[in-house]
Amino acid sequence: MDDDVDFLAMIQDFFVTLGENAWQIHCASSADQALEILKIRKMDLVVSDVNMPMLDGVQFLHILNRRHPDLKKAVITSNATEEKRSACLAEGAELFIEKPRSPEGLKSIFIMLEELITWTPGEGFQGVLRRVGLQDVIQMECLGRNSSILEIHNQQLRGRVYIEDGRIIHAQTGNTVGESALYNLLAIPSGEFQLQPFEPPPKRTIEGQWESLLMEAARVRDETMAAQTPAAGPAPKPELLPAVKTSTPASDLAACIEETLICSGTGDPLYVWQCPDAQARVALLQNVAQQAAFFGQLVPLGSFDRLEMQLADSRVVAQVKADRMVFVRVSTDGEKPTTRTL
Amino acid sequence: MNDTRQEWLATGAIASGMLGCGMRLPDSTCQSYSFNEMWPREHLDQVLQQLAETMTLLASHGLAPRRLIWTFEQGQIFLIPRPDGTLLALATQPNTAAAENVDQLAEEFFSLNSSN
Repeated sequence: MDDDVDFLAMIQDFFVTLGENAWQIHCASSADQALEILKIRKMDLVVSDVNMPMLDGVQFLHILNRRHPDLKKAVITSNATEEKRSACLAEGAELFIEKPRSPEGLKSIFIMLEELITWTPGEGFQGVLRRVGLQDVIQMECLGRNSSILEIHNQQLRGRVYIEDGRIIHAQTGNTVGESALYNLLAIPSGEFQLQPFEPPPKRTIEGQWESLLMEAARVRDETMAAQTPAAGPAPKPELLPAVKTSTPASDLAACIEETLICSGTGDPLYVWQCPDAQARVALLQNVAQQAAFFGQLVPLGSFDRLEMQLADSRVVAQVKADRMVFVRVSTDGEKPTTRTL
Repeated sequence: MNDTRQEWLATGAIASGMLGCGMRLPDSTCQSYSFNEMWPREHLDQVLQQLAETMTLLASHGLAPRRLIWTFEQGQIFLIPRPDGTLLALATQPNTAAAENVDQLAEEFFSLNSSN
């Protein structure tokens, strides 16, 4: 796709010749034309220019990435800057190439594109997850003891969470690092994320169990949301939030966790820690799910999230989702019950 | 249910974001008040009875909560039991004045004379 139709015609002829008619090339001079073609034809590869009127190449890649996540993408531009290169690669382009100025250059590009078409990704799945929580992604990575970098961004905030062998070891957003950065990122109401291959972080700023970190993040997010009610005045942008002050550092909170159970939506235990009777806890979670469904039939409540129990010396969270259920008990040492949520 | 409790329940719990409230006595009688037309009183009574069963269920699992908070997308249900077996249920919209007022209502609930 290129708004320069002369270049399109030239490259089409050249590639058809080099490919000995093995390639079927469809040209579009605008993003909407390209998207129309993609609606009716299955393609192996899209090659796009960057500098175009109306919808530029980066935005086009963004749309492609959402609508056709399996489609391979390459960018060819006459104005290759590091900024554009980063933006295109971040939006899923596999190749970022400068427009050739000679037949040899065109031939090199043809070889690269042919390599790209025949290249198959390694093991694993690719796809788009919609309406998924960041906590879910982190939980999935930690439960699988994976190593990865979770890149998160929305219009206000951009940051990274480093996970090594199932442990959250570092988070960074702007100049904020550590648990504060993690909690700020997990308080983002919506945005996008990408899981990148693991690389060692510049430093390790987070310790403690991932379960307690996620619980603390949920508490911080609840408090942030409460502070953003109309009575509290206009909501601050996430980037303007002060560094999160936690009354209990997650590393200390880890020592307070007494029991954890995570199971699938059907009740198969996935992670059990210091749980005296896992089957009984699963049964309890299933009862909670049934009762929540019953309440939902009687009154308009929307989807169920969790049941919190404040006990004399501990606090329990029973979270029930379609694909998983979680039971966590944390000691509170006789703390007075309040409406504060975990 | 005596007038003092009814009056407290009907007027004391009113706050922005309160959807409904109810009290269940140890003899299983219920008194509910709806502050939202989508939350009919009869349904609140059923919720309250079910919440009482939840307490029994939790007790069978060795859990004796001093407070339960059911959090849904569009509302929260708080359940506060008294040692004498009386239950107070408050249904609020999340992050509203009503939700913030739960601690205050719980204190008042505990101070209500059980013989009234």
